[in-house]
Amino acid sequence: MSIMEYNGGSVIAMVGKDCVAIASDLRLGNQALSISSNFQKVFPVTDRIYVGLPGLGTDVTTLRERFRYRINMYTIKEEREIEPETFAHLVSSTLYEHRFGPYFIEPVIAGLSKTPSGGVKPLIAAADLIGCLNFAKDFVVAGTASTKLLGVAEGLWEPDLEPEDLFETISQTLLNSVDRDAFSGWGAVVHVITKDSIISRTLKGRMD
Amino acid sequence: MPDMTSLAHPQQRSFNPYSENGGTILAIAGADFSVIAGDTRQSEGYSIQTRYAPKVFRLTDRAVLAVNGFAADGNMFVKKVKQRLEWYRHAHSKDMPLRAIARLIQTMLYARRFFPYYVYNILGGIEEDGTGAVYSFDPVGSYEREACRAAGAAQSLVQPFLDNQIYFKNQTPALGTSHPAHLPLPTVLSIVIDSFTSATERHIEVGDGLEMYVVLAKGRNLQGLEGVRGMQELTVTDDGERVFVVRRDLKKD
Amino acid sequence: MNTFVERFTTNASNGLFCGNGAVEEDEEFSDAMWGSEAGFGSLARGVPSFTVPSVSDPAAFLRLHTDDHADPNCKIKIQHGTTTLAFRFQGGVIVAVDSRATAGSYVASGTVKKVIEINPYLLGTMAGGAADCQYWETYLGMHCRLHELRNRERISVSAASKYLSNLVYGYKGMGLSMGTMICGWDKTGPAVFYVDSDGTRLKGDLFSVGSGSTFAYGVLDQGYRWDLSDEEAQELGRRSIYAAGHRDAFSGNTCNLYHVKENGWNFIGNYDISKLHYDGPGDVAGSPGHGYGYDLRVEGRSSVNAPEAAPAVAAQA
Repeated sequence: MSIMEYNGGSVIAMVGKDCVAIASDLRLGNQALSISSNFQKVFPVTDRIYVGLPGLGTDVTTLRERFRYRINMYTIKEEREIEPETFAHLVSSTLYEHRFGPYFIEPVIAGLSKTPSGGVKPLIAAADLIGCLNFAKDFVVAGTASTKLLGVAEGLWEPDLEPEDLFETISQTLLNSVDRDAFSGWGAVVHVITKDSIISRTLKGRMD
Repeated sequence: MPDMTSLAHPQQRSFNPYSENGGTILAIAGADFSVIAGDTRQSEGYSIQTRYAPKVFRLTDRAVLAVNGFAADGNMFVKKVKQRLEWYRHAHSKDMPLRAIARLIQTMLYARRFFPYYVYNILGGIEEDGTGAVYSFDPVGSYEREACRAAGAAQSLVQPFLDNQIYFKNQTPALGTSHPAHLPLPTVLSIVIDSFTSATERHIEVGDGLEMYVVLAKGRNLQGLEGVRGMQELTVTDDGERVFVVRRDLKKD
Repeated sequence: MNTFVERFTTNASNGLFCGNGAVEEDEEFSDAMWGSEAGFGSLARGVPSFTVPSVSDPAAFLRLHTDDHADPNCKIKIQHGTTTLAFRFQGGVIVAVDSRATAGSYVASGTVKKVIEINPYLLGTMAGGAADCQYWETYLGMHCRLHELRNRERISVSAASKYLSNLVYGYKGMGLSMGTMICGWDKTGPAVFYVDSDGTRLKGDLFSVGSGSTFAYGVLDQGYRWDLSDEEAQELGRRSIYAAGHRDAFSGNTCNLYHVKENGWNFIGNYDISKLHYDGPGDVAGSPGHGYGYDLRVEGRSSVNAPEAAPAVAAQA
């Protein structure tokens, strides 16, 4: 059995028009036994960056704290907020430091980076458990429902979605994918990051 | 020179008659029609053996069988089903009804319970009461009638998409309205095409070509099928159900 | 049925491709196959026969290539994961099952019929190999009918279950996988027998089988008594399957409920387990009138949303 299936869980991120969305399920299980329907896997990093950490539950907690520490150190030293692309590389190098005894996490990053003209540019990325980055133009997936998410997203996603349409697309993708995955589900949460606000909603999902 | 060191170690050989040839099949039942589709790529590991190996077969004018898994087993199995259907035709002067074909397939698969055909079957067609039907099987013969089913390499990519688009799962209808129980044929065909283009995009074992078989109930007009590009009729008898095939290209990379 | 086992043992010393077993299937075509006996044509001549690979240990061959719970990486996946339950009470037998089939982490189906309607007064449940249960319980149904024709009376649940038990025992060690409850009503009243592919056959009041059975037993044991009313019993079956569907990753989707009474079984209904969680079973007999979900039941009474503290009761001396 895969180590990812020990606790279960899935995360997806999508690009929209001047916005990004990131969503995850809320299940934490012990193999077949579902334990919690309120296990957070997506965390805010800055006002414009979220990171999703699907994988082994214990590493979710550890990595989250590790990233928090490194972000704080970065902010203090640089006296500015970290940019999404920089953060992605921070995630990558943190994971690669443990090349031969990795954290069992496949991080997903979603953020808006600043452009020189003062606008924002959506950025999403995913990494494998040793930090190989994948900056995608459309969507990235990770977790036990990743194949399901990939198929549905490929069918539903289209370029330049407005925030509310992006919310609907990512929600439908996540909900229908986790319903075909035994180790994901038990509720879901979605965050849409736009230029001037963050929309966070908890979805009513299947509870079986 | 023979490698003498290997003789020092115990050797074990096992009988491995199975291989996995990729590809995906899919079937959707409508109110009075069925669509049974499959891609035409056949692969082994990272190599493409051929870009055109049909996985969907016309059995009778009202039944179409799609097979996926180990191609050699699949082709042999279809051959044997066709043989049994021909015998039935000679004995009874009519085609076997769809539900009977489904049960026949179960017993044929279960006869190999201890040496299974490594094949996932999906049977589509028209039931005796004129409704569209899909039966899906596991390799040893457990089966169920369903409205829509994807099997094969990309089943996990396609099936949740179908749940959403065919069954309207996780969708709430606008107040005072309800979701349609059955979708019209042109809608189903475009969902099938979308499913396969998506699967082709994200799965290496899917692609090259797409074959969609359409079975229409007795007396049903072509509504929406006449203008379809690449359509060809395969019907043999002229007083019952009609079978068509629509062929499309998929990406070859 | 021993002819099968004997043939397989005599083949055991033969080489890899002795060919004896491989061509078996073609020789099995009888005149009946030209007709429409659905492959059960061999019924008249005894048990059906099966093709066996010509290797020294066919059971090991099967284990190597099919998904034995321990190794989910093999090619041929046989569907697993289930919750089924049946119990006997004053008003008959309640049979309740979920409808999920999983292959690894993939939910292969959410609409499986795990109650097999053997005939109008016998039900069988499905856990383990779906094909094994479907095939042998259909086969059992044909023999129950033959029993009726020969003896001019219905077969007892005890006899039917023993027939099945003996049948699968003949294949012991060959890799069949089934855990089933044969339920019905005969001269002795309501009856439930547990039969599995190891050859176990147990008579009892209350059984639950499958990966979610522990969760179902939790609710079932708590609420079970012989003098349950029909409504209470049906609600207990539903509630138990819900509990398993909720907690067990390999169970869920919907609950199918059957009630066996003196004149045969009745299908009570199909309930979406997520709907049971949020809204309850709806307007049916025994319904609590609200969702089964924990969060719903404790609304306003949980640690995060506690009720006003009740005034402390003075300690009585």
